This record gives sequence, C-alpha cells and structure tokens, in this order.
Amino acid sequence: MRQRRAIRAVAGATFVVLLAASLPGWAQESVAVRAMMTKEPIPLDDPNAAAWTSAPQAQFPLSPQVHWQNRIQEVTVKDVKVRALNDGQRVAVLLEYTDPTEDPADAAALEFMVGDKKAHFAHGQPMAQVQGGPVNIWFWRNKDGKGVDMSAMGFGTLKAQTHQDVTAKGAYANGTWKVVFSRAMATEHPDEDMQLKPGEFINIAFAVWDGRKDGAGDLVEKGSQKAVSSWWYFRAEAPPDYSGYIYAALATGVALAFQFVLIRKLRKGHSA
Amino acid sequence: MGALTKPIILLVVIYLLLKFVVPNVPGSAPLPSSLIFLYLMLTMAGIVIYYTMSGESKDAFWGPIQRFLTGENIGALQTARYGVLILFPLLVGWQTYGSTAVSDAPPAENRTIHPAPPGEYTGLSNPVSKTPENIMQGKGFYAAFCSPCHGGNFDGKGPAARGFNPPPANFSDPTTIAMLQESYLFWRIKKGGVGLPIEGMPWKSAMPRWEVELPDEWIWKIILGEYDGAHQSPRTWE
Repeated sequence: MRQRRAIRAVAGATFVVLLAASLPGWAQESVAVRAMMTKEPIPLDDPNAAAWTSAPQAQFPLSPQVHWQNRIQEVTVKDVKVRALNDGQRVAVLLEYTDPTEDPADAAALEFMVGDKKAHFAHGQPMAQVQGGPVNIWFWRNKDGKGVDMSAMGFGTLKAQTHQDVTAKGAYANGTWKVVFSRAMATEHPDEDMQLKPGEFINIAFAVWDGRKDGAGDLVEKGSQKAVSSWWYFRAEAPPDYSGYIYAALATGVALAFQFVLIRKLRKGHSA
Repeated sequence: MGALTKPIILLVVIYLLLKFVVPNVPGSAPLPSSLIFLYLMLTMAGIVIYYTMSGESKDAFWGPIQRFLTGENIGALQTARYGVLILFPLLVGWQTYGSTAVSDAPPAENRTIHPAPPGEYTGLSNPVSKTPENIMQGKGFYAAFCSPCHGGNFDGKGPAARGFNPPPANFSDPTTIAMLQESYLFWRIKKGGVGLPIEGMPWKSAMPRWEVELPDEWIWKIILGEYDGAHQSPRTWE
C-alpha cells in the first residue's frame, strides 16, 4: 500500500513538472534598443561619458544599400553598436562603429517610422499594396559637426525640416566612431517627427557612410551608396513597474487561503 | 491499481503524445504550449466527469485525494503533501506574474513569407524557352543582379545579405522556389519587396523593384537560371 502511494506521489510530481514546462514560457529577448531611464543628466554631447556604460548595448548588422539605384556592392562598416538613455524628457542614442580612417565626409544616421503608418526602411519608398507613412531621419556628418532633423517619403524626397530639434556629436578615436544623437522625446510636430512614449516600441533603422575617397578623389560612399540596416525596435524604458510582483503576491495569498479553508472543511467532514 | 493511478498515467501519456509524437507526424508542427495545456485541462475535466458518475467511483476517486490533502494516515507521503501545499500557491503566483507583468518583448510579428500574388501574376508560363543558352544567360544576369544577396550558391548567403531582416530567400531550400510557380517568381522579381501585400510586411523587404531596371525577358531568363542553379523545379499544376 505504502509503495503504491509512493509511486503515485512520484507520478504526481512528474505530472506537475511536465505541466509547468508546457505553460507559456518567459518573454524572449529580441533585437531592440532599450533607452534606459536615468535620473542623472544625460551626456548629450559626450560620446565617451561613463554614464553610457549603464545602458545595455545592442548590435545590428549592416548591408550595402541595394534596394534602389544607385546601389553599392560593398561597404566599410559591417555592424553598429547602439546604446540609449532617457530621462523622461529627452532621449539620447549612442552609435558606435569601426571605421579605419577619420574623414570629413564620415556620416551616420538614425531613421524612425513616424505615426501609425508603416514606412519602408529605404527612406519610406512607396509600397504597391500598402499606404505607407513618412520617415524621420537624424543625420550627422563629421565636417558639419551637428545633427540635422530630416523627413522623407520615398527616394529623392529627403529634405531638412524647417524646425530642427536634433543634436549630434561625434568623437573619433582608435579606429572607432562614437556618435551621440539626442532630441526631446516628444515634439510639436507629430506628422514629421517620431514621438517617443515610455514603454512603447517604435521602429528604428541605421545608416553609415564611410567618407573615404577612391584613387580619383571621388567619395566611394555617398547618397544612397551607404551601409544600411533593416527595421529594428527601439523603446524608451519606463520607470520600473513592480505591480506584477504585487499581483503575484496577492494571488499566492489567495491560493494559500483557499488551501487552508479547503483542508479545514475536509477535516470537519471526516470527523463528522 | 488505485483510482488515481489510471488518470495520472492517462494525463502523462496524452502530454507525451501531444508534445513529442504529434509534431513528428508528417505534415504536422509542434503544438503551442497553450494548446497542450488546453487539451490536458479537457482530459482532466473528462476524468472528473467519468469518476463522479457513480457514488462508488466518486469515493474511490476523491477518497485518496481527500486523505492526501488532510494528511490523515498518509505516513511517508506527508513530505509530498507539504511539497504540494507549498508548490501550488507558488505556481499560482508565478502564473499571475507571467500574465500581469508588463511585457518586455517587442511586438510579435507574423510575417507571411509567400503571400498570394495579384491575380494577373498567377498561371503565367515562361515565354522564354528552356534552352542551354537561355539558362546560361539567366545565370549571368543572376550573378550580376541577384547573387550579391541571394548568393553565388543560390543559398541566400550573398555578401550583401547579412544586414537584412527578413533574410534573402535561400533557393536551394525546398520550401522556397521549389514550391512556387514561375509566374510567382516573375511577380516577386518584377515588383520587389515593395510589391508585397500587407501580410508580407513590404516595409521590411530589401528586394529591389526590378521592373524599373530590367526588361521582362531578362527576368524570365533569371528564373530559368535560378531553378537550374539551385537544382529545383518550378511547381506546376498537376
């Protein structure tokens, strides 16, 4: 009898374990930039500030831009590493990538979808069966030393906005560019600028131009001849939310109380 | 055999079937854990209904459970009882946390890899005859225009592929061009990524709209070259 019960207990425990394993698992980590919330001042114009190390680093592969002419078959920069911070008001994004030479025409850009409409990652190219929206591009070039806030909806439509909200600063050392872009999380131009709400995922893409020249003195990477990424995700992290733990503690308490009442009732029934 | 042994064995067997056997049935796929959970719950409900049909079977079924829960005369099982009494509230708490905590994952994306083409691109037959010269020409065009992404080996691993998400199609994989018709490829090459319907997420595709740069005849020749190079045959109407 006792042996039989022990077998039962083992079978029961096995079932519980198998059941738990089949329940929906934890959310998977995916490819997104997480702009960590910080109470310290954000290092808007210091790509080398220590504060950046507090933000997790995401890495995205780049390809030559092939979607549209004039395309390019090979590019210098193969990956970008990205960190980001927000203080609830402003967001700053640090791009980091390897480039063997510092050139005046070295440049980098962030691209965002604007509003609810999907936009093609190649400058919001028109799509045949889907009505697309515009993209917001933050552009930095070494020789300009500043950020340019731009809009596009298809190749050939890129233009600087009348209101400039973006800052950018680059620092080159040891074969590596570090470029910090920053802007207020929300602006008064939601039709042209991406708007960032804490906790919400938006789409981001990257572009890099190596400003080196070929033997004839012409720029190798320029305009649409650049390194690009596909769309990835970007999120400004909200202040930590502990409500999940509170609900879990409440549920555990209710389950405990249920057990207590149930066993009491069963015992009473037995002795009666 | 105790009244509880059979139900437990039944549940374990059904779980093992759903988890490990069903996915291996040809044409099947792994079941989502939520579906497995649902099936186990249905089985459990069936078991409870079955055992509560007569007073006798009901006592035989609930009796051991009641004794286990109250801990009366269960001897060595006392430890297991405490384990269950501690584990159950914790499991409830864990599940509650999982369903109420703010999700940290980006939105889920269900992209259809081969969405339906527009009507005018179904059932077109290749106007270019399948001669060795045409295939060779098609392979030449492929090398110039397609191989940077789709790869010289037709495997989707060209030098320009690495940054693109979704990745360029691997033509040697039997689930790509081998299950498509030539007219489907004609549509995809001609209209490119931006020609996809919404379920194909056209905003993510890097595929160029080749109609802007290549005459139709070249596209048909590229299709011949692709099938030949990837050692695949187009799907035809049986």
